[in-house]
Parts: sequence; C-alpha cells; structure tokens
Amino acid sequence: MAMAAGRASRVRPRWRGREARLLVVVVVVLAVGWLGLASTVAGELTIGQPAPLVVLAVMLGVVHVALVVDGRRRDQVLLPVVGLLMGLSLLLMSRLPQDLVVQSLAGVELSLAGIQLLWIGLSLAVAATVAVGLRNDLWLRSYKYTWAVAGIALLLLVFVLGQETNGARLTLRIGPFAGQPSELLKIILVVFLAAYLADNRALLAGRDSRLGPLRLPPLPYLLPMLVIWGLALATVVVQRDLGAALLFYGVFLLLLYVATQRRDLLAFGVVLFVVGGLVLYTLFPHVQDRVAIWLDPFATAQGAGFQIVRGLFALGRGGVLGTGLGGGLPTVGSGPSIPAVHTDFVFDALGEELGLAGGLAILALYALFAERGLRIAAGARDEFRTLLAAGLTLVIVVQAAIIVAGNAKLIPLTGITLPWIAYGGSSMLAGGIILGLLLAVAVEDRPGAAIERVGWRERLGDASRAAAGRVERVVR
Amino acid sequence: MIGRRRRSNTKEVVQPRSPGGPPPMAPALLRVGIGLFVVYAAIGVGLGWWGVVEAGRLTTDPGNPLVLAAREAPRGEILDARGVVLAESVREGRGGWRRNYPHPEAEPLIGYLSPRFGASGLERSYGAELLGIGDGVGTESLLRKLQRDPYDEQDLLLSLDLRLQRRAMRMLRGERGAIVAIEPATGRILALASTPTYDPNRIVDPATGAAYFEELLDRPPKDSALLDRATRGVYTPGSVLKMVTAVAGLGSDAITPATVYPAQPAEEVTGMPVDGFRVRDGHHPQTGDRALALDPATAVSCNIYFAHTGLNVGGDAFLAWGARLGFGAPIPFDVPTAASSLDGGDGFVDDVELANAAYGQGEAQATPLQMALVAAAIAERGTLMTPHVVDGLRAADGSIDEVEPSAWRQVLDRGRADSIADAMRGAVESRLGRPYAGAAKIPGVVTAGKSGTAELGGEGEPDSWFIGFAPAGDPKIAVAVIVEGGGTGSQAAVPIGGDIMGAWLRLQP
Amino acid sequence: MDPLDLTLWLLRLAFLAGIYGFLVLVIRALRRDLRQASDAADRPLGRLVVVGSPSGDPAPGAAYLLAAANTIGRDVNNTIVLDDSFTSGRHAALTYRGRSWYVEDLGSTNGTRLGGQAISAPTPLAWGDVVEVGQVRFRLERPGGR
Repeated sequence: MAMAAGRASRVRPRWRGREARLLVVVVVVLAVGWLGLASTVAGELTIGQPAPLVVLAVMLGVVHVALVVDGRRRDQVLLPVVGLLMGLSLLLMSRLPQDLVVQSLAGVELSLAGIQLLWIGLSLAVAATVAVGLRNDLWLRSYKYTWAVAGIALLLLVFVLGQETNGARLTLRIGPFAGQPSELLKIILVVFLAAYLADNRALLAGRDSRLGPLRLPPLPYLLPMLVIWGLALATVVVQRDLGAALLFYGVFLLLLYVATQRRDLLAFGVVLFVVGGLVLYTLFPHVQDRVAIWLDPFATAQGAGFQIVRGLFALGRGGVLGTGLGGGLPTVGSGPSIPAVHTDFVFDALGEELGLAGGLAILALYALFAERGLRIAAGARDEFRTLLAAGLTLVIVVQAAIIVAGNAKLIPLTGITLPWIAYGGSSMLAGGIILGLLLAVAVEDRPGAAIERVGWRERLGDASRAAAGRVERVVR
Repeated sequence: MIGRRRRSNTKEVVQPRSPGGPPPMAPALLRVGIGLFVVYAAIGVGLGWWGVVEAGRLTTDPGNPLVLAAREAPRGEILDARGVVLAESVREGRGGWRRNYPHPEAEPLIGYLSPRFGASGLERSYGAELLGIGDGVGTESLLRKLQRDPYDEQDLLLSLDLRLQRRAMRMLRGERGAIVAIEPATGRILALASTPTYDPNRIVDPATGAAYFEELLDRPPKDSALLDRATRGVYTPGSVLKMVTAVAGLGSDAITPATVYPAQPAEEVTGMPVDGFRVRDGHHPQTGDRALALDPATAVSCNIYFAHTGLNVGGDAFLAWGARLGFGAPIPFDVPTAASSLDGGDGFVDDVELANAAYGQGEAQATPLQMALVAAAIAERGTLMTPHVVDGLRAADGSIDEVEPSAWRQVLDRGRADSIADAMRGAVESRLGRPYAGAAKIPGVVTAGKSGTAELGGEGEPDSWFIGFAPAGDPKIAVAVIVEGGGTGSQAAVPIGGDIMGAWLRLQP
Repeated sequence: MDPLDLTLWLLRLAFLAGIYGFLVLVIRALRRDLRQASDAADRPLGRLVVVGSPSGDPAPGAAYLLAAANTIGRDVNNTIVLDDSFTSGRHAALTYRGRSWYVEDLGSTNGTRLGGQAISAPTPLAWGDVVEVGQVRFRLERPGGR
C-alpha cells in the first residue's frame, strides 16, 4: 500500500556528509596521536607501524558506506564519537606492554593491541549489521519475558559455572570461548525493561496501592522492580561484582523514572539502594574492604590500596597536559605501574598521558554520546523505542561514570570497563550491539525538511506565510 | 529569531494525549540528561583535583613508581653548609648508579637509598627533588615536559655544618641520645645527631646490605639505629619543660616574673596537695624558707613553683600555649617528625596530671627537636622561626632555589620572652643555678640554659636533658640535648650542651 | 632545545587540540540540529490533502498545511474547520510527535477512521495514510508535495 511504497522508495543510497567529515577528522587526529606515540617510543620522528590504525580507519569507512548504502536517514554523530573512543583505545593498547595478554588464534599469535583490534573490528561489524539489518523490532519487544528468562538463566549460569577473575566471579568459559555474560546481560535487561515499561507505564504511573505513607503502583507491577533489586544484590553477593550491580540498578531506576516521571518511585528506589547497601556492608567483608580502600587507599598503599594509589599517581603525574602518549606509565619491575591498567584503569592511563585536558575530553565524548542518545530516544517513533534508546544510552553513560569516578577515587572502585576503550572482547561486542541498536532506533521516518539546511529563500517564504495567516489553504 | 517563531494564536492546542494516559517522556529524558551532565561535571572537578591540586604531592610521593623506579638513577648530591658532600651518586658497573655517603656522621638525617630496602631520611622525603621529577603543573615543569627525560636532578644544600655535626656525634658516642642545634634567628638546623646510628654505605652495598639491614631491624626498639631520635624520639622532658610552663604562665598573665607562692617553702617539706595527691620536691634545701620568684625557681628547678604556675594557667590555656610552641602536632620539617604533647594527647584528666605536666612529668612527652624550638623561641625574643635543614635546591644549571627563613609563630612578646631568657641565664650563671646547669657555661660567654632530669619510674637511671642558647645577649645557637639514662641533667646532658654551643661560637668567623 | 623534543611536544598538543576540535565540530553539529528542529517546528510539517468530501466543501484536492498540533472539527476554534454535519465540534487531533504523525479521536460522535478502521487511541500515521473525519477523507502528505 502507500506505506509499503513509502518504505520502498527510501532504499536508494543517501550521502552522510556530516558523518564523513567527522570521520575524516577522527582519522586525522588519531594519525597525529599515532605519530606522536611512535616517535616518542622510537626517539626519532617516525610513524612506526600504522597498520592497526589503517585497519581501524578502513573499518570505520566500511560501516559508513554500509549506512550510506542503506540510505535511511539517521544520526550522523554517534559513529564518529564511538570511532574516536575506539581509536583512543587502540592507541593505548598499542602503547601498553604487549605481553599483558597473549592469545593464540588459529595458529596466529596475537597480543594486546592485535586482539583489541580484532574485537573492535567485530564490534563495528556487529554495529553495522544491527543498524542496517534491524528493521522490525517486534521480536525484541514481544518476547520480553523470554529475554528476561534468558537473562536470568545467563546469570544463574555464571553463578554456577563462573570463574573468578580478580576476586569477582565474572567469566564464563564454554569450550574455547570465554566471555563476561554481564556485558550481554545489561543489554538484555534494557530490552526487557523497555518492553515491560512501554506496555505497563500507564499502570506504573498510577497510584493504586498504599504502603504506609507511600502510594505505590499496583503491587503486581512493582514485582519486577523488586526482582531486579534482588538480582542486583545477588550479583554483588554471588559474583562479587559491585560494578555490574550498581550499573544494572542505576539504569533500571533512571529508566523507571523516564517511563513514569514519578519522583517518589525514584526516591523509593534510592532508599532500597541505601538499605541494600547497608545490609551488604554489614554482612560482607569484601564490601567493607572496598569502602575502606576507598576512604583511605594511602593507608594500604602497599596492599589493598595499591592499585588505586598507583592510579592516582598516574593522574597526578599527568597534570593538565599529560606526559604525551608513550611518555608516561613507567614500567616498574616486570609489569606496568598500575595493575590491570588495560582493563580497569584505562582512564588513569589515558589521564597520565593525555593529562586533565585529555581526561575531560573523554568525559565530554561520553556526554555528547549521551546527548545524542537521549535525543534519539526523545524523537523515537514509539514508547518502546524511546525507552530502548534511553536505556542503551544510560548503560554506556552510567557505566563510564562509575568506572571513571572509581578510578578517580570519587566512589569506591568497582571493576567494570570503560565502554569502547577498555580491553575486553565481551565489553567491546556489547558496545557494538548498543551502537547498532541506537543507530537502528535513530532511523528517521520522515525524510522531510528537518535535516536539510534552511536557505534564505525558504525563510523568506516562511515569513510571508506567517504574514498571510496561520492556516493557509492552497488550492491546486 | 523571534520573527520566524510563529506561534499558533488560537487557544491552547489540545494536548496530544488522551486523558488519564501516561505522561510524555521527553521532560523526564531532559531531566535525566541534566542530571547526568551534573554528575559528569562533578567527575570532571574530581579529576581536576587530582590533576592540578594534588598533582605535586602525588608525583613527589615516595611511593610513586617514578620515584621508586629511579632508585638506581643518578640523583643530586646532598651538601652541608660549607659544600662538603654528604651523599652522592657514583657509577657502579655499567650503567648502574649507587649512592655513596662519605660522612656517615650525618645519619640518620640524610638517610639511605637502596634499590632493595627503599629510602629514608632526606633521601626519602626529598627523593623527587633529588631525582628532579616535576609535579606536572606550573610553567617550570611545563618547560621540563618539553624534554623527554623526566629527570632533572637537583642538589640539596643543607644548613647542617658537618664540623658541628661530627662533634655532636662524638659527644654522644657510646650513648643513646640526640642533639639538635639550631640557629634561633633563622630556624636553620646546624646539627641533628642521634645515636646509636648506622652506616648507610653498608645498607647500600649489595654484598653486605641484606645481613646488615636485617641486623638493624632485629634490634630491640630502644636500641634502634634506624630511628631518628632527634625528630621522632619522644621522651619525658622533665624539668626542661618548665620553660614551656613559664611561657604559658607569663604569656597568659597567670604570673609575672615577680610572682611567688607563699605556701611553696612549706610545701617543699610537706608536699603540695593537689586533689588529694601530693607533689613532692625538696631537692633544693639551700633556698630554705624563701618563697621563690621565677628566676630563682628556674635556677633551682623548683617543681612546686611550676606546678602552681601550671594550675594557675589552667589546663586548656596550658595546652593552647604549648600548641603555639609546636606541641600537639608533628612539627612541619624536612623529614617526618613525631608529635610532642603535654597531655599524652587525651587532655588532662585532672589537676594532678596538669600539675605534674607543668614540671615535665605526668604524660608530657617531647622530641629533642621540639625542645630545641622552645629554646630557640625564647632566644629569639619570642619569635619561633620555621625549622629547616634544607637551605636550598641547586639545579643542574647552577641556579639555586633558596629556602627563605620565615617566622612560624610569634609566641611571646619581647618583654616576656626576655624575662624567661633572664631566668635561663640565671640557671647557668647564678650561684643558685650553678650546681644544676652551671656545667653548660661557656668560658667568656654569657650562657643561658635549663637542665632536666626525666624520672621514668621503675629501675634505671633517669634521662638527662639540657636546653640552652648562647650568647645570652645575642644568641647564635640554641640546643637541645638528651642522653638516655644519663642520670641527672648536670651529669651528662648539660656539659654536652655547653660544649656544642661553645664549639659553634668558636667556629664562627 | 632538542628539535625532536619540540616536535614531540607540538605533536602532543596537536593531538589534544585535535580531540577538542572534534568536540567543537560535534557540538556545532548538535546545535545546528537543535536550531533546525526549532525552525522545523515553525515550518509546515505536512499537508493534509482532501481526497473525498461528499459536500464539496472543502473541495477535493484542497490541502491544509499542518503545524505540529492540529485539531479538526466544526468549531471555529479548530485549526482545521470543517463545515460538515457528520463532524463533531472538536473531532480529531493530528499531532506530530518526535518523528512521526499521530491521529487521535477527541471523543467525536461519528468517530475517526484510519484506513477504514475506527481508532480508539492515538495511532501513528505514515505518509499517504488516509484518515476519515466524519465524511471527509484526507490523505497525509509530505510538506513539499511530491
């Protein structure tokens, strides 16, 4: 019918000029960074071996072309922003000691930067596939309880089979594949929540049942909220994964607020959080340890506080302008000066080499990502998509805030990754899925005038129309 | 803008929602966005805190890997006031560097720097400067960042005079004790001795280091050689603390130099009742029935006089005046210091403790450095100069960043300070005082001082103390001496104090 | 000063400046979007073309330019006034929300239909969809015409 015809007519390629320009800027900036890094390391002016950078540039270009060929009008800023973050990741990983991670893949020995480049590539491929391929989101939406069950099953699987890394039970290993399911779980959680809240938000916004002075939504609809609260607690207790728990719960609360606009629910959630936090604090020594380390890492600078203190040293040495890529991060003894520098402490590493200026720029990149994501959410076609886009954006932004604040000793440190920068396959793939989903939601249905520049002629026309009256009848 | 903005001039357009439906989500998204922005701004401020405000402290922290990694890098020299090298880097093997200490007499102030055992003393607290690591802020370090080499080693120029330091160490040979000598007008430390001591060259030497260091660590605490007694040894001060009581008494107008306590002569015999406890004295029968004023009470070191004065001042005021002299918190200095205190840090539980503290017993505790500052403040007519042993930093290009002498606190006015100085002069020079502190007298020089004997309870000889300055009219040096288990003040510490001051005056051109 | 050191220092500053330059470009892009969104709010967002009108008023082929919120009804306070006896005083609302059009019945007597089906809740519209208000049939079209 008319609708189908409308859809079909949009398949022709459409240039994405702004995205292309921004991507060129990203590649040029990264090339400058690479030049500086290679020269600092080599002690002479050289570009070194820029193959990884070229590969990244090509991959970004391929995604760009895929979106151009797809032809649907959508956001042109997300890809360059994420591309720059990935580029920073690649620069940092190329600069760290390569033997931090060594894996043999199909007979080819890969080390830190190589593996990270591989994951960045897969991540971008996933993003492009999702962005172009996801035309119907019904299956995401309809099977929300399936998603929820899958998520819980995944969580249980980790509870039972998970392997410990750094005291947290995060890693699931099945055959040759290893991954951190909480990265996937956060996406499942957002999809479920978006579908659930989109269907039930009218009821949740109502005030039917009473609990003391609190007027709550009908109790059956509160249940998922309590279940997620319980899941967050369980994550902390069983997995010892404070970061993921905080992230899940924070995103959930914010999404609930977006859906219902009810501050009392937000406050109720915060109270539940505080209560849960206090209970965990009194019952579990590892939570107490974390808080003690946070309050005074210097007291245990040679023990438990070692990591965070070393991180702060890095931030301090970086100062305002940083030591320059390749100029910081002294190698002490056999390893880098900050343990887990490539996973949990990437921000401090960048803070040392790029300084406060670089750190703030990275924060600004995430902030711009947030602006973009929330705007996509506000303009989405339906409530499910609004909540989905908002949730995915929140996942990234809240996660970045948690780990950066933890690195800077503003909140207790929790081991989660800095999206698109930290080393890690699961994290990078999850980032790709999120980017793809956001680009899919960002597709604009109205190929009208909104994006095209308004020329002076049209403005003049506007003015005359305004003079003529509010409603105009044009007879053909 | 306004011209283009066309508003529908009809009545409010119908809200695009059915009545009772859920609210639109855009406002909530906006609010969440603003909230996130605020959080990010706060994180940015937090980063600024570390990257700008705390940058210097973090970068020069002795635990910083830059400082640690550079244990084997060449660092600047440490030189005494006349340019004698006290610590230097010497090449060892190919590419390696090792610290060499030509004059171990300056330990433990100088400290050691060993790749294995870390650093101590000035080697530790000035590690960053000796290595030449910038703090990441300021134009100077910005320029330094132009260079790839992060190290720009600086020499440490000390106010310490090796000749006086050697003499001080010789005086303490075979004893446990400490000597602090300070220039009252500037706060420059002239000698800082602590015994027993160690040989840093043996710690640094890879061949002997492990065994030697282990032996040092295994010693019982009271024989520790690694502890710098001058700055971190806390002792019961005994009678030398009476000068703090005098500062508090005159400063708070609780007494004048003429104040006498009529009950005092009788209490020499019966003891002075305080809350059912009796403060005993009776070690100066020569004063007989005479009620003593400040001068004679100082000369004969009358416990009862100062106990009365302490009670007159009151506990809170006593603590406050002590704090002006540096008690109650670690003294800011070039190496870490221990805090001295009048009350053990927990307040005076009753007047008994206050009365006892007022003559240096009770829970009063002081470091030799603290007591040297008391003498210096009195000598400098009430002005307490900031103590320092690092006079300046010399960069590789020869430019010197000097440490300017600065007044730390104005403790007393001149008149009151001079009254106490007169009393201390009497303690050395007068007929009454001579049996106690007369051994500090420098021939031909008017000398001021105060002896002390710290009863430790239990067996063993008391610690022997002396503080003083000379010449009394125009002080060039103030000292504090402690000899652990040295008996009464006049036996051990007093002659040492006089010898050190005399030696310094003879060394002056 | 060593020329290499100077070069490295300049490269470092250039890298940081580049990142900030990128940020500025992105922020400018975002601001332009915001401006255009507010411009777009003033521009017609669509046209409602009359395709069937039994009474002949409005005439088939006539087109109304649409603002972001439009109400249709017999009342003169509506943005689109229909002099049609099957139309209620306040009949239906056409609103542009985010990126798509919605039609909503405002409790009319004869109902509002989309593609022949009566609607009960706000319903999204696509270009070319036909909406019936009373007896009048409209087609939603892009603002610029074909």
